[in-house]
Amino acid sequence: MSPWLCPEVLLVLAGVGLILTDALLPPGKRTVLPGIALVTSCVLLAGTIWQSGQPMTSSWGNLFVTDGLSSVFKPFFVLCLVGVTLISVRTPMGREETVRSEFLALPFFSSAGLCLLASAHDFLAIFVALELVAISLYLLVAFQRTQVKSLEAGMKLLVMGGLSTGFLVMGIAWLYAAAGTTEFTRILLEQAGRPASVALLLAVGLIVTGLAFKIAAVPFHAWAPDVYEGAPTSITAFLAVASKAAGFVLLVRIFGFGAFALDSVALVFRPILLTLGIATVTLGTLAALPQRNLKRLLAYSGIAHAGIMLLALGTLGEAGMGTVVGYLWAYLLASFPVLITIQEVERIYGSADVRHLDGLAQKDPGTALGLTLCFLSMAGLPPMLGFSAKLSVLSTLWNAGEIPGLVVGVIMAVVGLGFYLVPIRAMYWEREADSVPICRFPRFLVWILLSAGLLQLLLGLQPRPLIRLVERSLAPSVSAIIQEK
Amino acid sequence: MEARGLAMTLTWALPLLLLLPTLGVVAIALGSDPRRTALGVSLLNFIPAFLVSGVVLRQGEILFGPEVSTLREVFPIQFRLGCDGLSLPLLWLTLVVTLAAMGVARAQVKRSKEYFICLLLVGLGGLGAFLSVDLFYFFSFHEVALIPSFLLIGIWGQGDRTGAAWRMTIYLMLGSLLLLLGLLGLVFAVPEISRTLDWRVLTETLRAQPLGVKHQTILAALLLVGFGTLVSLVPFHSWAPGGYASAPAPAAMLHAGVLKKFGLYGLLRLALTMTPLGWKEISWVVGLMLAGNILYLGLASLAQRDFRWLLGFSSAMHMGTLFLGLIGGTVLGLGGALVLMVGHGLSAALGFAVAGEIGHRTGTTWMQDLGGLAKKAPKLWFYLMIAGMASIGLPGMANFAGEIMIFFGAWSSHPILVGIAAWGVVLSSVAMLRAIRSISSGPVSVAMTTQQTSDLQGTSEVWPFAFLTVLLFAVGFIPNLILGPARPILERLIQP
Repeated sequence: MSPWLCPEVLLVLAGVGLILTDALLPPGKRTVLPGIALVTSCVLLAGTIWQSGQPMTSSWGNLFVTDGLSSVFKPFFVLCLVGVTLISVRTPMGREETVRSEFLALPFFSSAGLCLLASAHDFLAIFVALELVAISLYLLVAFQRTQVKSLEAGMKLLVMGGLSTGFLVMGIAWLYAAAGTTEFTRILLEQAGRPASVALLLAVGLIVTGLAFKIAAVPFHAWAPDVYEGAPTSITAFLAVASKAAGFVLLVRIFGFGAFALDSVALVFRPILLTLGIATVTLGTLAALPQRNLKRLLAYSGIAHAGIMLLALGTLGEAGMGTVVGYLWAYLLASFPVLITIQEVERIYGSADVRHLDGLAQKDPGTALGLTLCFLSMAGLPPMLGFSAKLSVLSTLWNAGEIPGLVVGVIMAVVGLGFYLVPIRAMYWEREADSVPICRFPRFLVWILLSAGLLQLLLGLQPRPLIRLVERSLAPSVSAIIQEK
Repeated sequence: MEARGLAMTLTWALPLLLLLPTLGVVAIALGSDPRRTALGVSLLNFIPAFLVSGVVLRQGEILFGPEVSTLREVFPIQFRLGCDGLSLPLLWLTLVVTLAAMGVARAQVKRSKEYFICLLLVGLGGLGAFLSVDLFYFFSFHEVALIPSFLLIGIWGQGDRTGAAWRMTIYLMLGSLLLLLGLLGLVFAVPEISRTLDWRVLTETLRAQPLGVKHQTILAALLLVGFGTLVSLVPFHSWAPGGYASAPAPAAMLHAGVLKKFGLYGLLRLALTMTPLGWKEISWVVGLMLAGNILYLGLASLAQRDFRWLLGFSSAMHMGTLFLGLIGGTVLGLGGALVLMVGHGLSAALGFAVAGEIGHRTGTTWMQDLGGLAKKAPKLWFYLMIAGMASIGLPGMANFAGEIMIFFGAWSSHPILVGIAAWGVVLSSVAMLRAIRSISSGPVSVAMTTQQTSDLQGTSEVWPFAFLTVLLFAVGFIPNLILGPARPILERLIQP
């Protein structure tokens, strides 16, 4: 399997191809572009899934590896891309219609960066990959440049992203000073069995800070709600799911079996990560309670989910890492259908206020049911998949003896019902407002929602497939085995 | 050999019990007549239930599902169902109350499709919980009922339905999660090599190698608070009376009649068997709480002016007596608790059904407005009397059999509590008799003279009430229907 056929390369080629096609097409025929983009992303998804089963031998030195974790998360990111493209296609662009090809192509570059990130095995590679993701995102968030909110969001993301990159680079510099290398395995070999130096701890701290911005962990979360609300919904989806997941994949890799899987580091950072997790889940849940805008609600619920995952990650054991992997997939399955719905709500009503869902159960029972299942899964109610995910977090914490995290997690799971039930209540209890818009939700939405809801229900009743996936993601890295030989 | 093959085939009756309501939900969603479908599947479910009962009576238990996995897995969830002498009465209680609830539910209700789907789901949750052998499904099935209950109260409820629905949902969720922690604790208490989610195996393991007293106490306390919230044990009760008062009648029947028993069943099945020493340690706390249920809620029920609220309080109050059976530590007391669980399930269902009918026919459940109901609607009045008499423990009814057994069973170990519980009987009699007096022989109210109040009419309206009444008497006269199959299990349960 040639490394030149890996998803990253194909994604970049597809992105470039989309822009070129747009430039070469006669102006009247531009309407085919969305279709091309959607089909391309689906083909890429199939290719990535097929490829993730194949062993890859070469990895550009040890800059990138292909292991269980990367092979589980590359399809994840490309699946996100398919969803994002689907939303982008349906986004009304108004005066920016002429630049729709960029709007469609840029997520491809970002996804390439995410896939690189999933297999990065060197902090230099991580830096390059993160910038590839971030720069496309700065553009995309501020894409609706006639809207003040979009511009404001772009500005905020730019400043915050720049700041977080600064932390990250600083951390990498300190790391190089402390260990003399930025490659994961060598750091591990170098530092194993030694007490951690101050420089190393500082480096880890700075890098974790940089990543905490990406996953919107408290106290580095303040940008998220505003940016999510201001950005076009497709980009909100990208930020809320793909970008957040990338941060966690990175954390799992460096703390699970990469650079910082060291006892000396764990001693200091386990309490720090757990504290971050407790703060994040508490603030995310409490701040979500008064929200009545679906995008903001989802932003805060995303913060709460990040907190829960941080709690699992903070135990720094194999079980914790596996839990995060499974949780991310559950999060993807629950939040993407909701985000697609939000896009349609915005398209019809012009805003994502929760009252637009009033009485949905009566005029469109399928959509209401699918949406309800997704929200229930997010809330972690059995028998949905989200419950299995939350259960494994709780059992990880119990096993690790982290009682404060456990207690906070349980309390916040209950409090969380307070806002996850708000849209459900709107759909089933309330009556539809008198001024009924003519537009209805498109049929494809019903199918997406229902199949996603049903999938989560079935996986919740029988989570074995997901467990297999988790086990695979934690399998020893292929390249590491090859190296040993 | 052939008999074995037959028994193997019969085990499919267990998943069928869960499949039928599920199919009913799907059929209603696809457009079949909601009430008829719901009634049909509830009635059809009696067939597999009879098969299951046959096997249980012959062999003691029936199991469905894969063999217990011996492989060490991250998350050893297996879909296994089972039924034995202890779960059999509750299985029947669920089926009976579900059928009666469907019979009482009206076809002309607004949004009848969602209404009957929610009702079926609540019943399904109860059934699944009583039949599950795997703790994961045991817990999950109970939670299945949570959101439908929220919607049932919120959409079709009366009074302060919004507040009641939220309070109930949040309370039950909190209770469930504490319970989940307790269950996790039980599972993780076993060494990794023999870890399993199957409560049958777990019980054996924890009986062979009991945990330390301190460990057991912590787990028992978690389970007590978790299950106790679901059973509305004081001080975790405040969701119950208002929730039942606001819920539409069939939902209140299912919730008070069936789902509440889940907590008691769980305590009996898990807490008492797996953490017996811990349970003994905290039994004084349970004693205080149950005294609270009996005295505090009993006094509160005296002050009620609305018949629904009265039923809500008295239903929560009787949980105190039930807990007395659980801490008595004798087979007699446990058997009494089991009989009272069934009796209370039936009588609460009957009570809420009557209250629902009264509310529907007269437009009020305020007791002072109901004076003269006996003349206007003698049949309704008759079943009101039956429900009231059952609830205060009149001999001949199931509740009396259960209560008297509990009192005798707990007398040697907790005489003071038995005294308190006897006062509870007095309190509940006073409350109930006052209610009955003001409804039957009180001054004829304006509402009764002006409104066209009709009685239950024809078999189609009477049968759910008659059905519950007959069963109340049947269990009351022959409690061995329940105790026979359950006795061996209860005896094993309290063996040291």
